[in-house]
Amino acid sequence: MRKTSILLPIVVVGIAAALSSVFIVDERQKALVLQFGQITAVKEDPGLAFKIPLIQEVVYYDDRILSLDTDEIEVTPSDDRRLVVDAFSRYRIADVVKFRQAVGPSGLPAAETRLKSILNAQIREVLGSESVTSDTILSPDRRVLTNRIRDQARDSAASLGLEVVDVRLKTTNLPVQNLEATFARMRAEREREAADERARGNEAAQRVRAQADRTVVELESDANRQAEIARGEADAERNRIFAEAFGQDPEFFEFYRSLAAYSKALQGQNTSFVLTPDSEFFNFLDSASGAEAAAE
Amino acid sequence: MAGNNGGPWGGGSGGGDDERGGDRKGGRRQDGDGPQIPEIDEIVKKGQEQLRVLMGGRGGRGSGGGSGGGEGFRFTRGTFGLGAVALALLWTFSSFYSVRPEERSVELFLGKFSSLGDPGLNFAPWPLVRYEIISVTGERIENIGVSTGNRGDSGLMLTTDANIVDIDFQVVWNVSDPQKYLFNIRDPQPTVQAVAEASMREIIAETELAPILNRDRGVIADRVMVTIQEALDSYESGINIVRVNLERADPPREVIDAFREVQAAEQERDRLERQADAYANTVSAGARGEAAQILEQAEGYRARVVNEAEGEASRFLSVLVEYQQAPDVTRKRLYLETMEGVLSGANKLILDRAIAGGEGGQGIVPYLPLNELPRGSTTTQQGGN
Repeated sequence: MRKTSILLPIVVVGIAAALSSVFIVDERQKALVLQFGQITAVKEDPGLAFKIPLIQEVVYYDDRILSLDTDEIEVTPSDDRRLVVDAFSRYRIADVVKFRQAVGPSGLPAAETRLKSILNAQIREVLGSESVTSDTILSPDRRVLTNRIRDQARDSAASLGLEVVDVRLKTTNLPVQNLEATFARMRAEREREAADERARGNEAAQRVRAQADRTVVELESDANRQAEIARGEADAERNRIFAEAFGQDPEFFEFYRSLAAYSKALQGQNTSFVLTPDSEFFNFLDSASGAEAAAE
Repeated sequence: MAGNNGGPWGGGSGGGDDERGGDRKGGRRQDGDGPQIPEIDEIVKKGQEQLRVLMGGRGGRGSGGGSGGGEGFRFTRGTFGLGAVALALLWTFSSFYSVRPEERSVELFLGKFSSLGDPGLNFAPWPLVRYEIISVTGERIENIGVSTGNRGDSGLMLTTDANIVDIDFQVVWNVSDPQKYLFNIRDPQPTVQAVAEASMREIIAETELAPILNRDRGVIADRVMVTIQEALDSYESGINIVRVNLERADPPREVIDAFREVQAAEQERDRLERQADAYANTVSAGARGEAAQILEQAEGYRARVVNEAEGEASRFLSVLVEYQQAPDVTRKRLYLETMEGVLSGANKLILDRAIAGGEGGQGIVPYLPLNELPRGSTTTQQGGN
């Protein structure tokens, strides 16, 4: 009983000392060993590591890619059209020693504040530079611009021990004050398009109608032409037939045709004759021997 | 010292389960209390009593013998044995874990990656090996631009022709590489969100409004998907984009009426053109009919005129043949027959030559009341033929 009560504390203290001199660095972490605030060792690879209990302490830093979103800022590209821009950044702590020296014990929050101001400065610088217009930002060159922001931010952030993995522009919108004007312009463009559509519709319709009317006139006049030709041919044919027939004895034709004309023209109850009986028809009206004979 | 000691263990416990964490804490508390020797004895005694109570009948018997110091010590050792067995069971229980089919586990040996665990029962001897279970094939969905968010204009994006389009889309993703996913990126879900939004805005910013609204939706979704995937690959995030659904790509609410108006105008244009076509078809069909009628009438005229002429000519020729056989008689006969026909139906007023006063019209003719002669037209035949 006595033995146990002495032995037990020794064992316990021993175990405690052993455990406190060992620490594990996770795959997701990097660690610094500090001795009274001074960096004595850097532990970047995961696994088991050792330190002196009580004297040394271990600080862990995240080795994964960290995220940072900037607040919206207004930039004025060289064409004076203002844009509201925000960006996000992905970064990692590349150099823990530098990081510790730069930001001190407050760690990530302080680093984020400083990285944010670096990013904002670079965004303003790149997007506000002489050669950049808002059209450049709204074009495939945007990628070039974000890469330039990233590279410049990367240089500045290196002094904080940070590696900027990526910077991308997220929002690139018009300020709220300009939205209404843009909407009005879009509306006007649409109204123009609508008016254009209607006008073109009317134009096409009118064109089609006019063409149809022209076709009608063409068709009918052509038909009339052909009809007149046919009639003319028919008349010519009739004349030819008559000439051929009547030409065989013009004198008889004259007589015959006159008779036909008389019988047609003078027919009916509505014709009145006032006659003296000395025409050939009345040859025998006065005498049986005939007028000619009487006249002789 | 205790705080420092806890550091490495605590650092690794991020995804550990509570049960194991609790167990571990218990062990550490014992270590931490170690230097306070008197209390240890008290705790041991208390532990004995508790065990005795827990063991029921046997505990009752033990309490009888427990009054003697030697016997009490012997019994305490047995209690430790039982405790060891219990601890061993607990250890076994916390070292085995199961992985569901849609999951994979990542095992860390003293903080360092050792292996991936497949679905089924896995063994990770505590405390040397720790594990994290990650849902791999399960699809996760990020909605971006949906206007129910904090701002009403969250989906508004500027196009390259400085128009504004309202875009809602959905990114579906899962984990392709659990190891990278776990070790390379701290905020996977916000990262997917941010990268997706940036990629979409980037692509919208280099596209004009009209194709976005109409035909290029699929193309845009594909390009966004590729861009997101490239960015996530550059982070070695182990995230796989399954698909991008472009749910909405509309003009903003403020101008959508104007866009509808354009559609209405397009319809109207179509209507006007069709109406004109209908008119054209009607009119030209009518004209074709008309033309055909004119032509047919002309042909009818031709046939009639020619037939009549031929008939008349043939009649004349027939008469002519007769006439030539006996000219005088036929001529006279024709004349008389005709005059007979003419005079038979007409009103006749025959004046004697003397009364009529043939020479110079000095007879009674000038005095005849010609107007009163019956019926309109009057033919005066005066004198001879």
